[in-house]
Amino acid sequence: MRTFLALLKKEELALFTSPIAYVVVALFLIVMGYTFTLSLFLSHINDFVHMFFQIYALFLLTVPIITMRLVAEERRLRTLETLLTAPVTEAAVVLAKFLASMSLLVVMLVLSGAYPLTLTVFGSPDWGPIYSGYIGLLLLGAALVAIGLMTSSLVANQLIAALLSLSLFLLLWIIDHFGWLLPDPFDAFVVNLSLLVHFTPFATGNIFLSDAGYFISLALLGLFLSLRALAWR
Amino acid sequence: MRQSDIVVEDLVKRYGRRVAVRGVSFTIGEGEIIGLLGPNGSGKSTILRILTGYLPASAGSVRIGGIEVAEASLAARKLVGYLAEDAPLYDGMRVGEFLRFMAELKGAFGGAGRRAVRAACERLRLEPVLGMPIGKLSRGYRQRVAIAQALLLEPPILLLDEPTNALDAYQVIGIRELIRSLAGTRIVLVASHVLTEIEKVATRVMILREGALLTADAMAEAAHSSRIRLGIGGPGEAVLGVLREVSGVVRAEIEPGTPARGSDLHRYLVEGATDGLAEKLSNAIIGHGFALAELTEEKPDLESIFLALTRRADPALAA
Repeated sequence: MRTFLALLKKEELALFTSPIAYVVVALFLIVMGYTFTLSLFLSHINDFVHMFFQIYALFLLTVPIITMRLVAEERRLRTLETLLTAPVTEAAVVLAKFLASMSLLVVMLVLSGAYPLTLTVFGSPDWGPIYSGYIGLLLLGAALVAIGLMTSSLVANQLIAALLSLSLFLLLWIIDHFGWLLPDPFDAFVVNLSLLVHFTPFATGNIFLSDAGYFISLALLGLFLSLRALAWR
Repeated sequence: MRQSDIVVEDLVKRYGRRVAVRGVSFTIGEGEIIGLLGPNGSGKSTILRILTGYLPASAGSVRIGGIEVAEASLAARKLVGYLAEDAPLYDGMRVGEFLRFMAELKGAFGGAGRRAVRAACERLRLEPVLGMPIGKLSRGYRQRVAIAQALLLEPPILLLDEPTNALDAYQVIGIRELIRSLAGTRIVLVASHVLTEIEKVATRVMILREGALLTADAMAEAAHSSRIRLGIGGPGEAVLGVLREVSGVVRAEIEPGTPARGSDLHRYLVEGATDGLAEKLSNAIIGHGFALAELTEEKPDLESIFLALTRRADPALAA
């Protein structure tokens, strides 16, 4: 456990001492702040559903930037050799990288908590959908980070890793549109691969185990494939 | 089986169709400083990476301290300190921070970790750069940091891949002295393509070529072979034919630049087994009626053994 904590600390330091983390958080807050101000003060909308969809889209765009260097950089600089010839398991390395990236998303979500709190000044927001939305974002984040980690484990070039992640995310975003074109039973299968289809209930205040199971399965699959990619040398 | 023994049997490593290591077998015991010598691309780094558990073997077995590396890689890695080629380190970390991190990965936390880092730093004289980012270190310091992390917690086995790569003469001497000082109760396996470096530190030299182990003890090979220089009057090719007929001769050739103008005295270099080769040669030469003007016997050095073995393994080189 202490070895794992050492790995986690190293990953957290690498993430939070790089400018990427701060640029991502700053961009996230600027876009969120702009949209929130616009919707509350100009459109007078006192709910948070559209904000959750905006965070959803921002996650799709920023997670590839956060995860691109995780393993790709270690492969390029060959530090993976230094790391994995020490007595640590590949699973511990993968999990530490995953949790470190998740912690940045958690920081972003915690900072975005200022917006629902602001709503309480002007009215009484319905907290149920806000809680479910944040749970959905956490699950979505976990799935995206695991996929980003997987693509970073497959290549030694950060840019390619980021583009690969982004392509996969966009495909999973819009895949339900293709699903509707397919005959039964393929339509249901493809539609159910969609990130948006499973995220929408969370954003609108509904928590279904099937949606949570989808994101958890995606995260576990991403972590498993990352592990396999790391073991493939 | 002693804890620090390394036993490698019929090791094979394939990358797709390319065979990087071909059926290599050797044993290394406690206290040995082994030099693994071979040209670039001969499979030295691959063997070291398999020993550390970083790469899986395609076939064969590797046991470290009685532990089968393929089955219990984690336990085997606890016995090994490894310096990878070109010292891949985290440039963004400070030296002290990196060494503490590596100590923690090796299971030394808190006070034990600090003591391990202090001991390694004292040995490698790293105190002046402890607070510096690794990315800003000179090549020499960088190499010393990489060796320091391999030395943390005094592992019984040290695997050093090209430890003097790109170092200046003073740094090379320092690293050489360090390697000698590390011997004793541990195994030190140094892989290098620099023959003189290996010759100066190793107690036993293994030679690799194109993934095959040509000898597991080049020094013993040297003790059992001799190099004889001869000056013989007569037609070169005819004499060469006679020399090659003598039992125990591995290689015979006319030395370049002979004979001198107006003379039929050729100089020859003959390599072969030790036992009575000089006598056999002189008998054969005189027996065939050639004039033997000079015969000098010398013990072959590592360089000539390396050349002889690699030529034997590759007829194209011999030609």
